[in-house]
Amino acid sequence: MTIVLLLIPLSLVLVTCAVWAFFWGVNHAQFDDLDTPALIPLSNDDVGLPRDATDHR
Amino acid sequence: MPTAAATRCFHCGETLAADAMLFARVAGQSQPVCCIGCQAACEWIGGLGLADYYRMRDATAPRAAAAVDLSVWDRDELQRLYVYRRSDGSAESNVLIEGLRCAACSWLIEHALAAVAGVREVSVNVAGKRARIVWQPDDVALSTILGALARLGYTPHPLNRKSLDDVAMREQRDALKRLLVAGLGMMQAMMFAIVLYAGDLEGIDNSTRDFFRWIGLLVTIPVVFYAALPFFRGARREWRARRPGMDTPIALALGLVFVASAIETARGGAHVYFDSASMFVFLLLGGRYLEMRTRHRATDVVDALARLQPAIAQRRSASGALESIGVHELQAGDRVVVADGATVPADGILVGAACYADESLLSGESRPVRRRHGDRMIAGSVVSGGPVEIHVERLGAETMLSAIVRLAGQAQQQRPQWAAYGERAAAYFVVALLCAAATTALAWWYVDSSRAFSATLAVLVVACPCAFALSVPAALARALAVLARRGVLVLKANAIENLARVDQFLFDKTGTLTNRDVELLSVAPLAQRSADECLAIAAQLETGSTHPLAQALRSAAPAQAASAAANLRSVAGEGVEGDIEGRHYRLGTAAFALGKRPLADADEIMLADDSGALAAFAFREHIRAEAAPALAALRAQGASIEILSGDSVARVADVAQRLGVETFQARANPARKLDRLRQLRERGRFVGVVGDGINDAPVLAGADVAIALGSGADLAQANADIVLANDRLDTLVAARAIAAKTLRVMRQNIAWALLYNAVTVPLAALGAIPPWAAAIGMSLSSLAVVLNSLRINDREHQCKPLRVLHSDDAFAPVPA
Repeated sequence: MTIVLLLIPLSLVLVTCAVWAFFWGVNHAQFDDLDTPALIPLSNDDVGLPRDATDHR
Repeated sequence: MPTAAATRCFHCGETLAADAMLFARVAGQSQPVCCIGCQAACEWIGGLGLADYYRMRDATAPRAAAAVDLSVWDRDELQRLYVYRRSDGSAESNVLIEGLRCAACSWLIEHALAAVAGVREVSVNVAGKRARIVWQPDDVALSTILGALARLGYTPHPLNRKSLDDVAMREQRDALKRLLVAGLGMMQAMMFAIVLYAGDLEGIDNSTRDFFRWIGLLVTIPVVFYAALPFFRGARREWRARRPGMDTPIALALGLVFVASAIETARGGAHVYFDSASMFVFLLLGGRYLEMRTRHRATDVVDALARLQPAIAQRRSASGALESIGVHELQAGDRVVVADGATVPADGILVGAACYADESLLSGESRPVRRRHGDRMIAGSVVSGGPVEIHVERLGAETMLSAIVRLAGQAQQQRPQWAAYGERAAAYFVVALLCAAATTALAWWYVDSSRAFSATLAVLVVACPCAFALSVPAALARALAVLARRGVLVLKANAIENLARVDQFLFDKTGTLTNRDVELLSVAPLAQRSADECLAIAAQLETGSTHPLAQALRSAAPAQAASAAANLRSVAGEGVEGDIEGRHYRLGTAAFALGKRPLADADEIMLADDSGALAAFAFREHIRAEAAPALAALRAQGASIEILSGDSVARVADVAQRLGVETFQARANPARKLDRLRQLRERGRFVGVVGDGINDAPVLAGADVAIALGSGADLAQANADIVLANDRLDTLVAARAIAAKTLRVMRQNIAWALLYNAVTVPLAALGAIPPWAAAIGMSLSSLAVVLNSLRINDREHQCKPLRVLHSDDAFAPVPA
């Protein structure tokens, strides 16, 4: 049973880390837009670079 | 190569004429487009390597407009109001983007602006239709950034820099954090509670039990003191207002259960209930989070005004030259020039040439009105047949538009506050809960004082208003989702209950029952020419005109058109003249066509040649196809219907008669509409108002339930409880049926919660319920409420399958 005395505080530390990470994410606009990021994998990797119309693809 | 099947503009989706000649090259393919603006937007998007946008979007793009001069935004006077200078030298601005419709739009905007050198940060908020842009003012001008947005086909409106403090965003972040803390806290507390339940059944030594209780207390502390804070604040507010609502029983039960469990932990008492308390908080916060997301889709009055009032005006200086300045720099007495199709920036007097002013949103007048030299022009109306010059008289807060906004604000304050169904029940619930707890405590005090505390605690947990507190939000959240799927956005949660209760509907006419088109009613030949012949000539004369009457003439004209007209000349506010096959024709007001002042109806226009009148054309408004069945269905549901319009008596009477509505009021200005609303309410009617214009904003704000049309003015939507985003009146009928069902489900939920408590509280008071049974019972009763709410669905009220127009609806399914 003594292992529980180690594991429980450990789990609490992990939960605290998770909460901290989530708060960081929320404060840094990671959760403000939940719609657009879903589209990113659908696009090509080379988007956003200004180029001429002629050399496109 | 262009495909034969493609008959719609690749960019904006507009139907193309069969002989469309414009094509844009996108991703190596030639695609048909409707206009130069769309062609430019399309090729620019392709040139940036962003052609994927066309695959990802689920709503078509706004039609791109021809280039506008945005350089005025670089003036210091405007920048001071609209741009925030950050300490590191960069500039920040919040831009409202008209035409922003779906997630693909926000993707496109972010990537296209990132390609502009000097732009450092772009974050787009689809629900709020805003973008926050940070840029380096030394490298790029604001006008360049706005120009990039305009080239994509969006209309950018920079917002006052005060709007950078985004209340909605802060609220959402805050709610999300609290929800997560409650969720993680709940999981932890339950995990430790299971150890205790197992210990109850199989035996556990006291020191281990106390250890797990203390850990349970530890993980519940953030849930109660951080996540549940809104409930305690709400309860304090309700207490100050002496009006117990939903927050009071929640805060009371939560506080008592937590404090009592903490005391039990400290003194090694019989039971602790940390798991129940944190689950309670999590479920409630989840419900509120959904409700908040709905609320945030509502249009802000500030945003509505930003779109309506131009920020830039063209002032004629003393020397006669034109200069672009910010509207806030204008002063009474200035002369401004308003271009064709532009919005009038201030109230004033028209000087110089005549024009048509479209005031339909402001006054409810269905046709553009003729304005001549010396006539009044009002801010917010749209000029057609410009450019015109206006002598500015009243600005800003003194304009008629501002007066309407103020009237709406007052009506909103005087609006009767119908306590939501759940709130009224909550007041009784608090009393019953406290009575039960007090009775238990007293009774046990006399019988066995050592058990008084634990028995009272058990009563509190069992009576914990979980199922009760969830009964209303669960039903509402489900109803919101079902309605959103049909294109009905509910912006205020208690609007659903109120919609079910409405027994009197007031409809606006222009734009609500009718759409903005007119149709040709009759052609009366006045000479030897046939009606068809006259119509063909008229249609040729009106070639290229965008006036609604011209469009009606063209669509009614027979296929075998007359030969093309030459020497076309249009006289703003009067009509057109031109030559066909050598003969000179004039089409327009009778005064213009015949060259003398006639007695003809204002709704008629005349065709004449040099020898005299040939034909008179009469028009009428085009009633929405679904209006008549929708009104009939509402009547069948037991509601009476009345039309309130700012338009002329004849036109309102015509529409009322065609729709079979007996009571109507014409020439009603916003104040008169409000008076009528009060009158009806004094007679005990529960009034729902359906409108779309700015002139409807005050009466909407004062209504028991306000319903605005999605295509209507933003100001109307900002004052509405419900927006019919798909613009179809028949969804109102379905929405009302769903609302009635929601009300029924709410009543069932509350009845079930009360029944559950009535059975279990006496058992708990007798000390017959162990804590694990109390926890399971609480979960099951909540589950029953949620499952019952799922019975609200739209299967039984199907009218026609509807397309979801806005993908930013939180609940809208993603179109395949």
